[in-house]
Amino acid sequence: MANLNVAVIVKLEPDFSEGNVSYNADGTLNRAETKSILGPHSAVASSAAFYAKVRYGASVAVATMGPPIADSALQQAQLLCDADELYLYSDRMFAGADTLATAEVLKTGISKLEGKMDIVFSGHRASDGETGQTGPQTAWKLGFTFLGNVIDYDVDMQNRIVRARRMISLQGFYDVVEEVEAPLPVFIAIDPSYKASFNTVSQRLAFEKYQKEAKERAQNYKQYLKVFNAQQLGVDPKLVGLPGSPTIVYKVERIPKAKASRRAEVVDGTNREQLAKVATRMYEVVGGMVIK
Amino acid sequence: MMESYDVAIIGGGSAGLAALKQLSNLGKQAILLEAGKQVGTKNISGGILYSKKPKTGRVYNVEDVYGPEFLKDAPVERKITQYMLHSTSRNKVFTMNLTAAHEYQANFGYSVLLNRLNAWFARHAGESAERQGGGIVSGVHVRSLSWQGDKTVVETDELEPFEAKAVIAADGVNSEVAEITGSRPKFTPEQLYQGVKVVVKLPEEIIEQRFGIGPDEGAAHLFAGDVTLNHIGGGFLYTNRDTLSVGAVYHYDSLMDRPAEPYTLVNALLKNPMVAEFVKDEVAIKEEIDKNLPKEEQLRVRFAVSKLIKTWNELRDVWYSPAARKKLVEAGKYKTEEEIKARLDSVQNELANKYHTKFVTDYVELEYSAKLVPDGKRCAMKKPYFKNVLFVGDAAGRGVFIGPRIEGLNVGIDDAVRAANAVARAIDRNNFGPQYMGEYYSQLIEESPYTRDMKEIDKDYVKIFLDAARDVPKDIIGQRYGMVFRLMSSGTLRGLAVGFANILGYDKLLPLVESEDTYVQVPVELAEKMGRPIQATYEPTLPTVAQRVARLKYDDDRISHIKVLDSKSQFMKKMVTLCPTSCYSMEGGDVTLQHEACIECGTCAKETEWRHPRGEKGVIYQYG
Repeated sequence: MANLNVAVIVKLEPDFSEGNVSYNADGTLNRAETKSILGPHSAVASSAAFYAKVRYGASVAVATMGPPIADSALQQAQLLCDADELYLYSDRMFAGADTLATAEVLKTGISKLEGKMDIVFSGHRASDGETGQTGPQTAWKLGFTFLGNVIDYDVDMQNRIVRARRMISLQGFYDVVEEVEAPLPVFIAIDPSYKASFNTVSQRLAFEKYQKEAKERAQNYKQYLKVFNAQQLGVDPKLVGLPGSPTIVYKVERIPKAKASRRAEVVDGTNREQLAKVATRMYEVVGGMVIK
Repeated sequence: MMESYDVAIIGGGSAGLAALKQLSNLGKQAILLEAGKQVGTKNISGGILYSKKPKTGRVYNVEDVYGPEFLKDAPVERKITQYMLHSTSRNKVFTMNLTAAHEYQANFGYSVLLNRLNAWFARHAGESAERQGGGIVSGVHVRSLSWQGDKTVVETDELEPFEAKAVIAADGVNSEVAEITGSRPKFTPEQLYQGVKVVVKLPEEIIEQRFGIGPDEGAAHLFAGDVTLNHIGGGFLYTNRDTLSVGAVYHYDSLMDRPAEPYTLVNALLKNPMVAEFVKDEVAIKEEIDKNLPKEEQLRVRFAVSKLIKTWNELRDVWYSPAARKKLVEAGKYKTEEEIKARLDSVQNELANKYHTKFVTDYVELEYSAKLVPDGKRCAMKKPYFKNVLFVGDAAGRGVFIGPRIEGLNVGIDDAVRAANAVARAIDRNNFGPQYMGEYYSQLIEESPYTRDMKEIDKDYVKIFLDAARDVPKDIIGQRYGMVFRLMSSGTLRGLAVGFANILGYDKLLPLVESEDTYVQVPVELAEKMGRPIQATYEPTLPTVAQRVARLKYDDDRISHIKVLDSKSQFMKKMVTLCPTSCYSMEGGDVTLQHEACIECGTCAKETEWRHPRGEKGVIYQYG
């Protein structure tokens, strides 16, 4: 029934939420101690895909590249978007991949999916790498129109057009919302502020129905899961993993703590003269504002 | 293009859900709109759901709507097998066994907590509705209804407007649909009761031991006399599985005459020695932490004690619940049940010896709530419809309220089935006109045995009371009542008297029957002269209203859902006292409202612009 096919690319990331993250003595992340979860931006991307399912009855596939345990990210994503299919691209050969090599694997995987993809979603960036490049690079490799920072979208199913609103931050100035139209297929990197809203009764009913289905499916997520290695995927070994990565991270430095530059002065509250000084100083800082 | 549905049901209480289930059972499409984030978070009931077996006519019971599944796995609390009426005066109590009255024409009566039960109803009704292209939409507050031709446009605060062919209004005693459509005036204090309830925690097997009931049995205790603080009404205590529902229900007009803070009425009940003994439990009291310790150490001790007390509480609940004990052993957490007890004791020892925690006798209150209850005898809608809108349950002012007999949930469910049947018939004929649908529903309601109960005195029911009071010497309960008793004791005379009363009109008799005499003086006299003394072994620590409110969960709305119309009116001045959560206060000569603590009972609705909060907003009950 679905004549809209969407895919989401997600990432298993360390859980940076309070109390869950653990660091080594040298300040680097203790990956063994820190739990891994579906990245927060991947979660937003998944909910954007769920919107396509609720609004347009889209068929949803979720894909990730990672070690075998990355299937837990797929499970969590499925709970969010009621995915029909889950794909894990996992091979030792993929280790050490930078964003470009990762994009190569994801592109190959997405191209292999049944049915032509109409929209591919990704998060804004990962919470551990923070480069925000894997999405755009995958889009470029797929040859899809790339729409970044999307806060809202709709699909004109008849004309096969996406209308999206993008949040553009002009740093230091102000934010603008840009409305764009693009023919399918498109690649959408979803803005962290995206929040799906369902405004009609039928959408709410569909939301309830698919949410319930998602819970059931996620409980048996293995049933929906397909795992591919490099060979099954048919990727060019030169383009993936370490060999396919033009960049490597060779050192991470901590940002030094800024020195505190505050000076405190103790004022005797019973001394009117000193209090007057405080008032004058406050007047200087807040500038002309009347304090009642 | 506006979306269109066959039926819109407004309100996801027991009645609305039954309407949804029944329509789906009949293969019709219906959607239900509920303002709470989830079904069940806004529902409060005194606590007994009956299944009736009337002498004549038929009623639609909960198990008729939900099928045998209901009896098999619905989360009801306990089947009430003991029903007692206590007359109280200070520390004296005179008890009558009214189990026969409770069982009168009943298949069963279960104590219930609506948060869990309505969620179960919602799951079953929702699944059936989905199969017919309908379902439940929660977090949606209906704002208005308007008519375009033969279609009704439903507008909400949250969604795009949509059309419906028929509407079932199940939005409770403070029905906004009734107000929007102008189909009935707001209820007056004479037509209402105010009920206030607290849910008290008590482990399962302690309940069974204390009330002398088996694992599948329950007790209901009613109270009259001095616990009412001279108001017309009474108190109740029902056993749930591992909690008690303790509450007070009062004639609203009696409270208007002599305003009393609602919580003082519950407190009076809790302070009664009999009730105090019923609710008492073992409570851990934290010792003050030594302020001379280093800050980190203080913090560590505080965490350790809180955690231990939590463990102690949880383990204790497990230890006193056979099912929970078994589950823990099966899960492999403990090898034997005795091991649980050993662990419980060791936690208690650690708390007592290491942290000097005291274990005292007190009671544990979990939730405070309030609700208005319509008295069907006085306010049931004569024509419970408006155009294509059918009113059911509380929204239609339909509740059975006769002496200790309080039935609302089952009445609402019966109404809902009748409304659903009328709507289904209208869908088949595609005729939603008031003659074809509304009048037909009105007729079905007229045939309901509950309607008969709201209009007529049932002489067999009277006899049950007389039998229960047979051993009471007639002269000690006042001359007037003594004579009535003697008169009524004879079958023939009773038949005549009741027949005459019914001809005269039930409503004309009510002021005589429902008086301070009946509810206060006579019970006090009974207790004084015939009661047995009961001594409380401790004094319960009663929370303040602020503490009670602090324990409730809310999703705050910045905008108030209530608007005070006249801040100087006599009525509003009384609200300062009568609001169960003390939302009103006097400032200068004006009554001002702070809506944040509102629990949406509607006590102030008569002279305010009263709306339910927007979708998902307002109070979120955990027990109901």
